[in-house]
Amino acid sequence: MSLQTPRVLPAHLHAFHTSSSTKHHTVRILGTVSALRGDTATITCGADEVTLILKPDSHLQMGKLVEIIGKVTDLNEGGIGIRVLGSTDWGNPADCDYKIYEQVVNATHKLKPIFYDE
Amino acid sequence: MDSGYSNYNNSYGGGGGGGGGGGFMPGEMNNSPSGGKGDYNNATLRPITIKQALDATQPYPEAGYQIDSAEAASVCFIGQVRNISSQSTNVTYKIDDGTGEIEVKQWIDSSAAGTDNMDTDENGGKPVAKNQPELNGYAKVFGKLKSFGNKRFVGAHCVRAVSNINEVHVHLLEAAAVHLFFTKGPVGEAAPAGAGGASAGGAGDASMGGVDDYGAEGGRALPAMSPVARRVYNLLRTEPQSNEGLHAQLIAAKLSLPMPDVARAGDELLTAGVIFSTVDEQTWAILEY
Repeated sequence: MSLQTPRVLPAHLHAFHTSSSTKHHTVRILGTVSALRGDTATITCGADEVTLILKPDSHLQMGKLVEIIGKVTDLNEGGIGIRVLGSTDWGNPADCDYKIYEQVVNATHKLKPIFYDE
Repeated sequence: MDSGYSNYNNSYGGGGGGGGGGGFMPGEMNNSPSGGKGDYNNATLRPITIKQALDATQPYPEAGYQIDSAEAASVCFIGQVRNISSQSTNVTYKIDDGTGEIEVKQWIDSSAAGTDNMDTDENGGKPVAKNQPELNGYAKVFGKLKSFGNKRFVGAHCVRAVSNINEVHVHLLEAAAVHLFFTKGPVGEAAPAGAGGASAGGAGDASMGGVDDYGAEGGRALPAMSPVARRVYNLLRTEPQSNEGLHAQLIAAKLSLPMPDVARAGDELLTAGVIFSTVDEQTWAILEY
């Protein structure tokens, strides 16, 4: 079976941490780039924020909606963040209804048989 | 009984070939409830996830693929393009939607009108259609599930780029809704009662046994019917009756429907092989046992 990358919300990150029992540690998350600090960045996902550890060739742009594929990992300053493996630019955040994304994530985790292996 | 049997044959339009030939048609329906109609009448384009495509089953070799025990003749899905490999006769994409990864082959048809701007030499003679998928960009794929050796792939009719993320989300929700439709039944309709519900629920695991199949056929075929046919079927299933079944006029009275509507619904159910005519062509019973 090929690699699965579950879509998640910031509140779910702890469940995909390497210390947890799940076999999925690589996740997809959608957010708006709200801070860029060299090798780290912050995306805003609805009401929450997630810290990203960038790779040298990640080209995030401030204020853009991005979909991040990355590995859930511990941050140096404590807490959980995502080490970016890939990113997709979706342009203007106003073009996406984040509420729909939240519903999509909920649906995908309720209907495991068609989305993700246990 | 003789007359009932010949009515039964006639209603299938089976005709000739005598007893043996006539008996074959209903038998065939029994063994492959969705096989025959899937090939020719099922033009349904089903939204799925790639995991569903990989999990799709074939009831027997060379049969059409089934997802949630329902024929999935044509499918569509959205994912990210992980690899594009252009060959002289086809383009192969590797598509990943987060639930899995599958290869998509699109045959290059030089005479196709779909690849509109073929005319150009400025592009080095390469066809450059609009909405061409890009590497690592999202694409929507329309096609049919195929396999070559042990490898499953999708024969694509169309692969186009997706530029609005809402389209991705809608697709995932659509796939979820259709999955629920086939596993839990239509929205706003009480779950099939009693035995019907049980066999419809177990359809996934049910062997190809005749009786089980018919139960499953009832639960599964209903979604593809007109609402009137569904009402007639439900009445036939729930109404107390002798083994002669119910007369069309009685059904019309019970459902307060005009006779032509009931007759049409009856034809539909007869064609689907879920009811059969008993003492005369207007008296139907559920084909269950």
